[in-house]
Amino acid sequence: MRAPLWTAIAISVGLIVLLGYFIPPEMTRFAFILTLRSILIGWAVILAGVAALVGVLNLFMVHLRRMTARRDPDRYSILLVIAFLASFGLGLYLTPADPQYQKVVTAIQAPVEATLMALLVITLTFGSIRLFQRRKGLMAVVFAVSAFFFILIASGLLAPLQSLPGIGGLFEFIQRLPIAGTRGILLGIALGSLTAGLRILLGADRPFSG
Amino acid sequence: MQDLIWTLVGFFLTLLVFTYLFGDNFFFRLASYLFVGVSAGYVAVTVIYQVILPRLILPLLQGSLAERLFVLVPLVMAALLLTKLSNQLAPLGKLPMAYLVGVGAAVAIGGAVFGTLIGQISGATRPFNVYTYGASGLFEGLLLLIGAIGTLVYFQFNTPSRQPGRTGRAAVVESLALVGQVFIGIALGAVFAGVFTASLTALMDRIQFLLTVIAQLTSG
Repeated sequence: MRAPLWTAIAISVGLIVLLGYFIPPEMTRFAFILTLRSILIGWAVILAGVAALVGVLNLFMVHLRRMTARRDPDRYSILLVIAFLASFGLGLYLTPADPQYQKVVTAIQAPVEATLMALLVITLTFGSIRLFQRRKGLMAVVFAVSAFFFILIASGLLAPLQSLPGIGGLFEFIQRLPIAGTRGILLGIALGSLTAGLRILLGADRPFSG
Repeated sequence: MQDLIWTLVGFFLTLLVFTYLFGDNFFFRLASYLFVGVSAGYVAVTVIYQVILPRLILPLLQGSLAERLFVLVPLVMAALLLTKLSNQLAPLGKLPMAYLVGVGAAVAIGGAVFGTLIGQISGATRPFNVYTYGASGLFEGLLLLIGAIGTLVYFQFNTPSRQPGRTGRAAVVESLALVGQVFIGIALGAVFAGVFTASLTALMDRIQFLLTVIAQLTSG
């Protein structure tokens, strides 16, 4: 058996947290499980924060290594390292809630994010054209008709038709049709998460042992 | 003056990112590396001030004896997790990883069951209440239910049959998967339309921003 101690820790901690979902707060006899669960989740929040910090530090170290590499150093990494140090240092000194710090970060983040979002129009248009060129099938046709219809609805061009007695109801019905597909996809994701979680709690999967 | 500087920063960053229209280039990379650096710094500072300081450091320095003892466990695990940064010491980080995976799996199961499965199943059965929604509700509910089941069936993949011209799925399953394909197409089309509309709005906003800044600069 691979990593039995770590597997035992993952299973026992997971089972206590999972058990907490099925115990109503008014059941005072098992209140200790709820208390234990809240302590365990509190520790997990701290560890998730430290894990995020490890991720950021790893990014910093990778770019530090890249910029100081003897062969073919990455000049863009210099900018990343300087930007990181400036943002991190200023944030530590002023605190992230400081309006000045917020302003500086937003002044850099907001235009880049908004422009990347704006570029998505071109990417999506070319992507959909390529889809039609490469995969002509039932799904592609239905997708195109649906996308065209919902873009027309969002543009407001069909607004006068929507107020008509018979057609208005039909439009509302068509607008509810995507619920079926999204519900199926959501149920699929939930069943997938459930299976993946249960496999870990049963010890069949051990992503931490590698 | 300060506002003007930040407006100009926004103006130039917008232009730099727009150069991606001509392909990956020096200017786009400048903007993206700057963005990643600033965001990573912001994330690190936020984690320190929102999680590490109030939940780990302050209870350790200012808390009661019980609080200090409680914090010792996550403190040791946090120290072990930091060893993940070193190749030689990385195996020591397995304990906190196992802990995180265990809690994460339980939270994922709880979220999937109570957050999605129960909510979606109750949503799918609601239109079948004929007293509230009538016969039209029943028809719509049935259609949406068939669509949802078809979508789930579409993602069920079997090994192909050895007989030529036949798949590994039964005829009923194959028909349901075909229905599912139609409903997936409709759903993805609606999602595409939503994202397309949102990004078109962002494009108009950016162009308007650029034009406003140019107008302000030229008018003095």
